[in-house]
Amino acid sequence: MIHRTALAKVLITGSALGVLAGCGAGASSSSSSSATAGSPVQGGNLVFANPQDAQSMNETNVFDNNSIWILEQITQPLYTVTNNGKTVMPWLATGYTESANKLTYTFTLRSGVKFSTGQPITSADVKFSLEQTMAAAAGWGYIDAAIKSVGDPTPSTVVVNLKYPWAPLLADLSLFANGIVPNNFGGKTAAQFWQAPVGTGPFKWDYWHKGQALKLIRNPYYWQKGKPYLNSVTWTDVPSDNTRQLQIKGGQAQIDQFPSWSTVSSLKTTPGVNMTLFDSTETTYIAFNEQVKPFQDVHVRQAISLALNRSSIISAVLFGNGKPANSLFPPQVPYYDPNTPGLQYNLAAAKQQMAESSVPHGFTTTLLLPSGNSDYATIATIAQADLKPLGINVNIQTLDPNTANGNFQSLKYDMFVSLWTMDIPDPDELATFALNPTSGAKSFFTTYDNPTVVQDVKKAEIEQQPSVRQALYNTIQTDAADGAFMAFLYYSPYAYVTTSNVHGFLVTPLGNYHMEDVWLSS
Amino acid sequence: MAFVIHRLVLLVPTVLGVTIITFFMIHLIPGDPARTILGIHATPRAIAILHAQWGLNRPLVDQYWLYMDRLVHGNLGQSLYYGTGVAGLITSRLPVTLWLIIYAAILAVVISVPLAILAASRKDGIRDHAVRLIPLLGLGMPAFWLGLILQSELSVRYRLFPVTGYGTGFAGHLHSMFLPSLTVAIALCPVIIRSLRASMLDVLGAEFITTARAKGVPATRLYIRHVLRNAIIPAVTVLGINIGFLIGGTLIVEQVFGLPGVGSLLIQSIFARDFPVVQAVALVFGIMVVLVNLLTDVAYATLDPRVRFD
Repeated sequence: MIHRTALAKVLITGSALGVLAGCGAGASSSSSSSATAGSPVQGGNLVFANPQDAQSMNETNVFDNNSIWILEQITQPLYTVTNNGKTVMPWLATGYTESANKLTYTFTLRSGVKFSTGQPITSADVKFSLEQTMAAAAGWGYIDAAIKSVGDPTPSTVVVNLKYPWAPLLADLSLFANGIVPNNFGGKTAAQFWQAPVGTGPFKWDYWHKGQALKLIRNPYYWQKGKPYLNSVTWTDVPSDNTRQLQIKGGQAQIDQFPSWSTVSSLKTTPGVNMTLFDSTETTYIAFNEQVKPFQDVHVRQAISLALNRSSIISAVLFGNGKPANSLFPPQVPYYDPNTPGLQYNLAAAKQQMAESSVPHGFTTTLLLPSGNSDYATIATIAQADLKPLGINVNIQTLDPNTANGNFQSLKYDMFVSLWTMDIPDPDELATFALNPTSGAKSFFTTYDNPTVVQDVKKAEIEQQPSVRQALYNTIQTDAADGAFMAFLYYSPYAYVTTSNVHGFLVTPLGNYHMEDVWLSS
Repeated sequence: MAFVIHRLVLLVPTVLGVTIITFFMIHLIPGDPARTILGIHATPRAIAILHAQWGLNRPLVDQYWLYMDRLVHGNLGQSLYYGTGVAGLITSRLPVTLWLIIYAAILAVVISVPLAILAASRKDGIRDHAVRLIPLLGLGMPAFWLGLILQSELSVRYRLFPVTGYGTGFAGHLHSMFLPSLTVAIALCPVIIRSLRASMLDVLGAEFITTARAKGVPATRLYIRHVLRNAIIPAVTVLGINIGFLIGGTLIVEQVFGLPGVGSLLIQSIFARDFPVVQAVALVFGIMVVLVNLLTDVAYATLDPRVRFD
């Protein structure tokens, strides 16, 4: 997923904190959007202040989070992730049957579902939609790589034929990129369609003034009775954390996405607003390039991982709003193993590992960061101090984000701070991306190559028995932690501020939200 | 008129120079627009597909000629980031930046002129010192901090203005753009006030002013029709130069006030390596700077009939 930080964010954020410190006063408890606020009320126009603009509405090839979470209000897939992020539930499909050899899945479409144009969906629309995504070679096509073909034998039945048994199929189908659109784009060209996509979601297209605001209005044909409650939702592009907060306080916006961590505490006691930390799958790591000496040495990698004081980092970066990471997988991912200890802070053990390494007296290295990211800068500063006792001298190199990410992905780095958020409620996408050196991502651009782990990843992705899959993923997580191909730093939540008249707003661990459930009280 | 036409003709080599410098600079710095779009999913195959789609796999010189061919036909190209026409992106954002600059200039003049008169009318008096000192605070204040203070007090506490946004309609723009324009104007005022005050003091010492006073010309008329008219020319030059700097320099104010201006479009496009947008915005800025300088010179000639352009 792409996280882009504006240059001005660093310039504005630090010095202006004093302005806002005086604005918060009084005491009120923080809670998630109230469940005890009474019955939902129809009507209202909600403004959602985002730190960055969406990039594209083409679900087949967009990777930007803001675009994705907005698109999910327009198009819907056959299945969707549950609120706890651990599994999927029927959405445009009501159920399925699978063949004995696990290669054919037959889905039954939900009756009464219409596009926002009023046209009912049929299996032809589903077939077309899935085939569009499958063909997106520079986009999400890889997520459907296990699908051989899609059939539409009856208007309400869709048949998905697989090349091989594939355990993550339902999770893959729940990805926003497999959202259902009209067959043949309703007569438009692809380019025309994706400028104003049509779907079965609770909202339909109104306008997008790029860099300013994107507005969706109520879909009158939405299939969930009585929903959506809101007349419209407008996502505005407001890069400054402080300005978004002022918009909330000034009543110009009702939801603020990702307030700065330093303000979480004060917002919890600010009257008229709710500060909520939703569980997320966001995990931050430091990656090691094993093509650069001495990072091919597992003792060096383990030493660094053991020397990093995660509590200090969480305190400094997240102001305490996070947990040390013990595993490659975050806790909200299915098959996460809470019993994997991972490599937690232990300076004595770190020194022991360095003594056993190929560079017992230490070495000089570079930690590469994208500019404009104050969180990463803090991590780097702390890491630099934490590694000094091991004799490791860390030079911090900051490059503009495009160049820094390019260097990371081209393996022109020593160490790099990165993060991951899940796209689907299944660990396979992350496991393949991070642990398989022959995947396009070269083991999360570390070139980590453990044949045993790779074999286990491949076994797990075709294993249908949950208990066996759990055992495989437990082993994978332990081996990945011991291999220390990355230092797992922390898990962080998704922070949102809402005005107290916003109800029903909930963010799943994948980051998506259902605006059809949101309503405004007076 | 001949002068104006001559300066407009000079736009052509200026534009050509801007296109060459911008094109090669943005293409030669490290970075890849495909990586912005693809993020962590930037596999070599995906990057190659996007490069082929965008023509970035062609030799740089070929890309430049293609760009120039489109440009002479009025086509600014497609944004690599948004996938939409660059012209549409710029035309939707340019009015915001123009509003900000022009409104800020007007506010700067409205604030500066009376204060400069106040200061010049009592040289070395208390009000002269106050007028010279207080606006310096505006010069020293970071624009983002000042903007946040104004938002916090006037928008949130007293609800006099919206926190962010451009507004709709002329009255809406006038209302919504007041705080951001004031933020910019406050930074412009000190230089204009000092320049105008200094030139007014020079004019006040002239013999024709002494004569006017002796003839009983009222103070208001004296200052407005005689002193200001003669003293304002250097201040116009200062204002013109500062407006030139403002073009492309309004990024911070745009970010604080959530204004979808061209400044933030340029910065975002540079980070994303959105080459067509960077090239187009640089071109627009180049033309605007030339036009602002031209307007400054024309204003100069209008105010002072003695000025001739050869």
